[in-house]
Order: sequence, then structure tokens, then C-alpha cells
Amino acid sequence: MPERRVYLDNSATTPVDPRVATAMARAVTETFGNASSVHGFGQQARAAIDRARREVAALIAARQNEIVFTSGGTEANNLAIRGLCQAASGHGRHIITSAIEHPSVAGVCAELEKRGWEVTRLPVYGNGIVKIDDVSEALRSDTILITIMLANNEIGTIQPIAQTGVLVRERRAAGQKNLWLHTDAVQAAGRLHLNIEELGCDLLTISGHKLYAPKGVGALYVRRGVRLHGQNVGGHQERERRAGTENVPGIVAFGEAAKLAREELEQRSQHDRALRDKFEAEVRERIEYIVMNGDREHRLDHLSNISFRFIEGEGLLINLDLEGVAVSTGSACSSGTLEPSPVIRALGVTDELARGSLRFSFGKDNTDADVDYVVEVLAAAVERLRLLSPLSRALN
Amino acid sequence: MPYSSIFKDHLAHPRNAGELPDANAIADEKNPVCGDRLRLSLVVKNDRIETARYLAYGCPPTLVCGSILTELISGKSIEEAKQLTRTDLVNAIGGLPSRKHHAAALAIETLNSALAQLS
Repeated sequence: MPERRVYLDNSATTPVDPRVATAMARAVTETFGNASSVHGFGQQARAAIDRARREVAALIAARQNEIVFTSGGTEANNLAIRGLCQAASGHGRHIITSAIEHPSVAGVCAELEKRGWEVTRLPVYGNGIVKIDDVSEALRSDTILITIMLANNEIGTIQPIAQTGVLVRERRAAGQKNLWLHTDAVQAAGRLHLNIEELGCDLLTISGHKLYAPKGVGALYVRRGVRLHGQNVGGHQERERRAGTENVPGIVAFGEAAKLAREELEQRSQHDRALRDKFEAEVRERIEYIVMNGDREHRLDHLSNISFRFIEGEGLLINLDLEGVAVSTGSACSSGTLEPSPVIRALGVTDELARGSLRFSFGKDNTDADVDYVVEVLAAAVERLRLLSPLSRALN
Repeated sequence: MPYSSIFKDHLAHPRNAGELPDANAIADEKNPVCGDRLRLSLVVKNDRIETARYLAYGCPPTLVCGSILTELISGKSIEEAKQLTRTDLVNAIGGLPSRKHHAAALAIETLNSALAQLS
């Protein structure tokens, strides 16, 4: 085990906030009733869920009865897309999405495509952002769903969801009543100020473990009046949208984390941005032949995605891991098959750049000293790998 | 399976990295599917591999296989080096996940390609 450990993979998951863990631990032992039971134990659990629901709703300025708790972001995305498409299939079978969605959206769209749905995947160009004009052009009279993420998980670019919301409302006003907007806000929730009315979304996905709650809990915002076909059946929970006994401790933890995220959002954003900017400035100064991926302005504050030329991301990742630094790469080499990150590839870069990309994602517990340490070990690891690389020989 | 301590040591401290200006054989092989590359340079005297150097681009097992290959073949006769198999390499590393065995295959292919230049 390395002497020092630095966690810079907060986009993959965040450490559980001790205040959240305390709330959850209390719920595990004290609020064990089944929220569907009519007795006091059950009602105590129901009240705890309701409090959490208010907090999660407040995080996105929604009404509490528009929040459906799920097991996480993937389930919420499945429920949103499948649930809506099944309920609205009589009105059209065309979906618009982007080329850089999380697998839990891209995978569902691909599966629907196999079942006869038509899917338009919008490009993102070199800056990693969908163009609103492309959304407008892709809209058809049989389009029933637009599903575009709010912020990307690999490069952090923020997509024009509010503008898409305006577009959807205009279309509805013009008579296309069965057109809905879903956004996967898993990376954005707790990091951006979110207001559901400003976004104009009908469905919005949040995950607990990206905002300092534990894994196993998430939520789908469902605008009042939107019909969804439930994916879990066999119970009346979550207003018939998600059958199954509620995960009370997880939901309580999620509620506490949502409350803290709302109260501390500005402070956390400033903290993460300061560390990220310091990191990028120092990396630029210390390491040559790099490409910073994604738009420089319209992106999340905590995330930096960098391609290191002449070397491969996984080798760099494991070198950093040996020094106690945790980061991630979207590319994978498995069974001799290269799978460069689809997100980085969508930016139109070469395979070499896509393979050499790493994501550094900061969180509220990181410090200036963490950045200094990471830059130090990163510069050394890049130099070591470049000395080994036949691709960088021309430089030596 | 997690990578072995031998694997991690070779990744953090690559052995025999570089090229040899007086090499008798230089092989440069590429995995056409994933793009991993390995370059092996050998100085062979009296049918014996006196010095071996390597360069590698690719996933960690490719980097490590290059490093450990140069250790395994240094001092060996050409005939002995020809006997080296993918399994020998994987065992010397302390095991590799099966999906990463292609790295050992690339190393042996590069070795054989270099040795073929000497016959």
C-alpha cells in the first residue's frame, strides 16, 4: 500500500460524507419498519422517506410527489426511457439522443432500436457539446423522446438542456403534444444549480453515490402528468412506478446528501474549480504533448480530461495507482481488442489520443497538497512511459 | 485477477528499456487489432544473446511483457530463446488475466521475429 493515497475519481463515485453515514446508520437501526405498513414502525419509515423526498426534490426545485426513488442512476435511466417509450409508443417511435451518453442511456436506446425504434444520435463536435440546431433539425413529427445528458461523465461538458426544453415547449405549443425531454443529470446534480422549470425537462435522473451518499439509491424526477410504464411490477410503491420495498436507509442517506449538496453547492463548486484549475495549470507547465479534452468554458468544475500523447491511458492509470493516486480512463484493451472511449472518439480525435486520455475528477475532500502530489507523480509516470514508447522516440 | 507484485515492480521499474545502436536484430511488431507495439533489439555474439532492449506502447501487460522478456532471454543461446513460450512469460510475470494474454503473444511474436533475422 502506498504511503499517500489521493482519490481523484469523484465522477466514478464519491466517498460517503460522514454526516450522511450518521443519518444512514440511525435509519438502519431505528427506522427499520416497512414504509407500506400501517403501524407506527411503518409510518416512521414512511415519514423518513417523505423527508428525504422533499430534500431530493428541493435539489432540483421540483415538487416532492414528482420524485421516484430507484436503486440508482442506471435504473432511473432505464425507467425513464423504456417506461416512457412503452407508454407512448402509440404516438411515435423516434428517439433523439447524443453520441456521448452514459451506457445506461446508450444501451437502452440501442436495445429499443433493435425492437424497431428509430434512434438519431447527435454528434458533439470537437468541444464535446451538442448543437441546439442539430436537435431542432433532428425533430420529427413522430419523435416522442429526446434524451440528452446534462453533463458528460468523461469530459464534463454541459449540454444545452434548457435550450432543448424551450424547443420542446415550442413544439408542444405548436401541436406536438407527445414529445418529452429526459436528461441524465447524474454528473450534474450536486455540482450545478438545477431548477427543473428552467431546464424544462419532463424526466431527470439523479444518483446518490455521485453526491456523497452510498451506492444503491437514485431517483427519477417525473413531471406531473407524464405517463410511464413501470419496469418493476408487483407492488404499489412509488406511486406504481417502482414496485419493491423501499430502501429506507439508502433513501434517508440520499436525502441528507441532497440537503448538504444544496446548502454547500456554491462552496463545493468554488473548491473543486480552484483545485482543477491549479491542477491543469501545473500539468500544462510540467508536461508537454498533452491535449485537454472538451470545451474549456461549458463544463463541470470538478473534472479534467487530458490526453497524453505517445502513451496509453491504462498504463498511466496503473502507474499512478502504484503511487496511491486513483483516476480513470474510458478506454479499455481487452482480449486484444481495443475499445477507445466512445466519448473521446466522438470529439473526432485520433485513436492514439483517445487511448491516452485520463479523467481526473476532484471532490470536496481533496486539498491543494493532493494536487501538488498528483502533478509530481503524474509528471514522473508520463516521462517513464514516454521513455519506453516507440511512438515518442522521435522526440528523444 | 489482480496483478502480481512482480508485474507491478516491472511496470514501475522497467528493465532494459531502450534501443541498441549495435544491434544484430531489431524486430518491431504490432497487434493489428488493439494497436499495441513492441520493439526488441538484440546484440547476439557467438550464438548467445548478450544484450536485449525493448520499447513498448500499449496496455500495462504489453509494457511488462517487454520488460520481463528481456530479462528472460539475456544470456540465453538462440536455441534456448526459441524454446520460450507464451506460458513461460505469463508464469514469469506471476500470472495474467486471460483477456490480457495477447500481450504475452505479442512479446513472443516479436522475439521470434528478431531471432528469425539471425538464422
